[in-house]
Amino acid sequence: MTSEAGVPETTNKSRTYRWDSLLSWLAFGVLLVAAILWLIPLLWAVVTALKPESQTTTVPITWIPEGGISAFTFESFWQVLSAGGLLRWYFNSALTSTVITVAVLLLTSLAGFGLSRVPFRGRTVVFWLIIAGLIVPPQILIIPLFMEMDALGFVDTYQGIILPQIASPLGVFIFKQFFDGIPHELEEAAIVDGASRFRIYWQIWMPLARPVIAAVGIFTFVLSWNNFIWPFVVVTNTDMMTIPVGLATVQSSYGLRYADIMASAVLGGLPLLVVFLFFQRQIVQGIASTGLKG
Amino acid sequence: MVALGGARQTKYSTKPEAQRRIDLAGFLFVLPFLVFYVAFLVWPVILGLRMSFFNWSLVGTGTGQFLGVSNYGELFTDPDFWSSLWHSILFTLLTVPLLTLLSLGFALLANRAIPARWFFRLSFFAPYVLPSSVMALIWIWMYQPGFGLINSYLTQLGLSEVSWLTDPQVAMISVVIATVWWQLGFSFVLYLAGLQEIPRELYDAAAVDGASSLETTRFITIPLLKRTTILVVTLAVFASLNVFDQIYIMSTSGGLDYQSTRSLIMYVYEQGFTLYRVGYAAAMTYVFFVLVLVVSITGFVFSNRRREA
Amino acid sequence: MPRRRAYAGSGASLISRRSFLGGVAAALGGLMLGGCGVTSLAAERLVVDFWNLFGGGDGARLDEMERAFRESRPEVRLNSTTLAWGAPYYTKLAMSAVGGRPPDVAILHQSRLAAYAPAGLLEPLDPQLLSEFDMGPDSFLPEVLEASRYEGEIYAIPLDTHPFVQYYNTDICKEAGLLGPDGELKPLEGPDAVIDALKRAKEVTGDLGLSFYPADDAGPWRLWYTLYGQLDGEAILSPDAREVTLDEEKALRAVEFMVALAQDAEVVRANIDYGGSVAQFLSGRAGFHWNGEWEVTTYLEADLPFSMLPFPNVFGENHVSQADRHTFVIPTQSSRDPRSMEAALEFISSMLKSSLIWAKGGHIPAYLPVANSDEYRELKPQSNYAGVADNVVIDPIAWFSGSGSTMEQRASAAFQSAMAGGISPRQAVVRLRTILQELVNIPKPI
Repeated sequence: MTSEAGVPETTNKSRTYRWDSLLSWLAFGVLLVAAILWLIPLLWAVVTALKPESQTTTVPITWIPEGGISAFTFESFWQVLSAGGLLRWYFNSALTSTVITVAVLLLTSLAGFGLSRVPFRGRTVVFWLIIAGLIVPPQILIIPLFMEMDALGFVDTYQGIILPQIASPLGVFIFKQFFDGIPHELEEAAIVDGASRFRIYWQIWMPLARPVIAAVGIFTFVLSWNNFIWPFVVVTNTDMMTIPVGLATVQSSYGLRYADIMASAVLGGLPLLVVFLFFQRQIVQGIASTGLKG
Repeated sequence: MVALGGARQTKYSTKPEAQRRIDLAGFLFVLPFLVFYVAFLVWPVILGLRMSFFNWSLVGTGTGQFLGVSNYGELFTDPDFWSSLWHSILFTLLTVPLLTLLSLGFALLANRAIPARWFFRLSFFAPYVLPSSVMALIWIWMYQPGFGLINSYLTQLGLSEVSWLTDPQVAMISVVIATVWWQLGFSFVLYLAGLQEIPRELYDAAAVDGASSLETTRFITIPLLKRTTILVVTLAVFASLNVFDQIYIMSTSGGLDYQSTRSLIMYVYEQGFTLYRVGYAAAMTYVFFVLVLVVSITGFVFSNRRREA
Repeated sequence: MPRRRAYAGSGASLISRRSFLGGVAAALGGLMLGGCGVTSLAAERLVVDFWNLFGGGDGARLDEMERAFRESRPEVRLNSTTLAWGAPYYTKLAMSAVGGRPPDVAILHQSRLAAYAPAGLLEPLDPQLLSEFDMGPDSFLPEVLEASRYEGEIYAIPLDTHPFVQYYNTDICKEAGLLGPDGELKPLEGPDAVIDALKRAKEVTGDLGLSFYPADDAGPWRLWYTLYGQLDGEAILSPDAREVTLDEEKALRAVEFMVALAQDAEVVRANIDYGGSVAQFLSGRAGFHWNGEWEVTTYLEADLPFSMLPFPNVFGENHVSQADRHTFVIPTQSSRDPRSMEAALEFISSMLKSSLIWAKGGHIPAYLPVANSDEYRELKPQSNYAGVADNVVIDPIAWFSGSGSTMEQRASAAFQSAMAGGISPRQAVVRLRTILQELVNIPKPI
């Protein structure tokens, strides 16, 4: 048993120690059960996707199909991928989320820098105007935003998906807070050198802000990749749909093929799951710190 | 909350001409963001307000007939508005406590000295990165009658099946279970991060005083997590009141009982886009927005007062 | 007022709104993305985008019909998209037409035409042009085509009529002595004869006489509207949908009959939903089944001993049944290549010509060359009720009416309460009137 937190190890109070050690094992047991419960839906989706269609609706359920492990098949995955749609939706999701993330990072760090480091008149008003946006839930804007996009001719376009998601007040707030907390010596030296404010922003502050950039970037990317309601409202053409929207909107015309449905669900969740597996710590920290500051 | 202090100490010259240059520079820094912000957040808020006074139609041209406040009057007598508003509130009342208590509990357990912590973080957080539609499809599958995983196990245990999706008495609970499964990871990592910020010395001191670990948790850890708890609850309340994705998808693709689960945002979508009544739908969102504001201001005042106490 | 798409120039406020924001946002959008839209990926190959809402057996049959088109025109790329049935489908369809980039062809319930054609979301179709593609007005029964018109213009090309019909279990009915010497059900006329037959079926099954689904968003409406139609009740709404013109006495008689089935005769249960009702008929727990014809393949595949007839003539005044029709429509696009219009019409024509496949699913083909063919007449039991194609009642013409609409949902809930004994038939009619009055009072969005 490794002891890295919480429980103090005191050898002279062996009764307390034994009690605590017992508690720790109990905690481990409870948590293990919970974690397994949490994994079951995911595993069940994967197992269903790997079964031959004929074996998806057996009662009682089986985790391993008739015929053993070798009866597992990737057929449903190929079926779903070759039916088209999904690959296109991957592309749309990747494109829109990347553009949104880059644009948010650039625009919100610029604004955060301006509000924090440039003492221009009226910045208090601008700052509170932006902060006020934090209390507007995006869901309540779907009606006027759709009408606006329609007036602009942006329904069913990438612009339509991307533009409203760029207006993220949270990013401005987080960058401003970060820049507020940094001492001024560096900057003053640069000003003496006659560097322009933009160069100071770009060459001094942005490198310093790397952890914040990572955090806001990860947060924005995950949120826009998983955004459902807005792309769902602004896109009707199946070729323009993102992964979450396509999966929920387009039905198979062959009726309910459960292995196929689960295969498409697994494929839909896969990109972020894989990224998450590789960058677990960074993603968790990024999301936690953005959440905490927000 | 936030002080605008950061730059104030910087000693720029404040001659009028220099100040004008500073004004220009500052303005240029915030301008790109402000353009998007005004165009896609401020403007729709204004446009929506204007729409709410007209018989504005999705398929019409122009504003439609001016109605004054009769859109607002209509929604006060619209039973579907009240029932869907209630569903959103009920969903929040059920989801938020469950989500908060479970994630706090799991985080406290995981914060003890236990092996394989990465495994727990993985299993609780993995669902959070799934899109809502993937989560909804998986749970529709879990909830199937007969060959659904849950009902199959219930039958094997000699219990009777539950119509998770179609029974009006159960449908909302099914959505709540799926949502807690999906969103728990987020509050869980917030709590883990909060726990890491508690200084180790406090625990050591408590141990010296002979406090049991339950006492330590009760009197040190949980009070010190208050800030995190306020954050977790605030975010969960906001997200839950605005629920749309999972209920919409589970009812259109999984036959979830609609009459007992339709949320307010779903009703807005339905009135605006299915029935073309965007003016009426806009009026609804403003009444809802005011309610959300009242909730958040109350919550803010309440949590501040408790912090002072 | 019909909406010609705004791109041609329209209301002043729209233009000012657009110029206000359009300048800024379009410039930014264009800068960022080089203005990539849907069109950038369109190949030179002619494409027909087709939207439908058919799952299950209908979906499979539709696919078979599409295959015929793909084989005959390999140079055209057909993109067929299936969206969730009902409101989700219709919402997407309207929004896509509003946005200016809708599919080339879409399926529309004829009862929904009132929410689309007046809004300018559909292209009017020139009869001359239709004739060039073998689907001129003479290819359809006049009554069938008439319901596809709005202000004299044709907006929808009918694929089928799908009426509310009567299924009966031949074994159970034989045992109950309800079959004639020819093995067919003896004609049932009048409320007493119908209830008597259902009671006798109930004695045989020991469970229910009739399998029907009162706990449903549409079922009670379909039954009530059929009965009201058979009483020759007046149209429930005025033609402009601004007044309720319901004949309350006839409405009451129809509800009373429905309540009698559940409460007095106890041949049907008020808490049965759609799936439950299908399962009951499938397992022989009911002698009769009232439903749309579309479940026919479920029972054929189960080798159930059954047959089908038009809905019985309960009230004798006018032997009609409730129905709707699937039609093909061409949504208004902001710009259209004339070649794509021709490809779309060719596709529709091809689908109509292969609609014998469609008829196997129970629907009565609207295309006369198929409906009059020997192959269709030999299709049993599907052609037993072919005669009702032009003797049906379709939902009133209003923006809030039609298959899957709020009106059907709310009215169904009122009728179910009455069947369950929660409210009296009279109260159900009062409630129906209130529901209709409320819908009529809403400022029209079209």
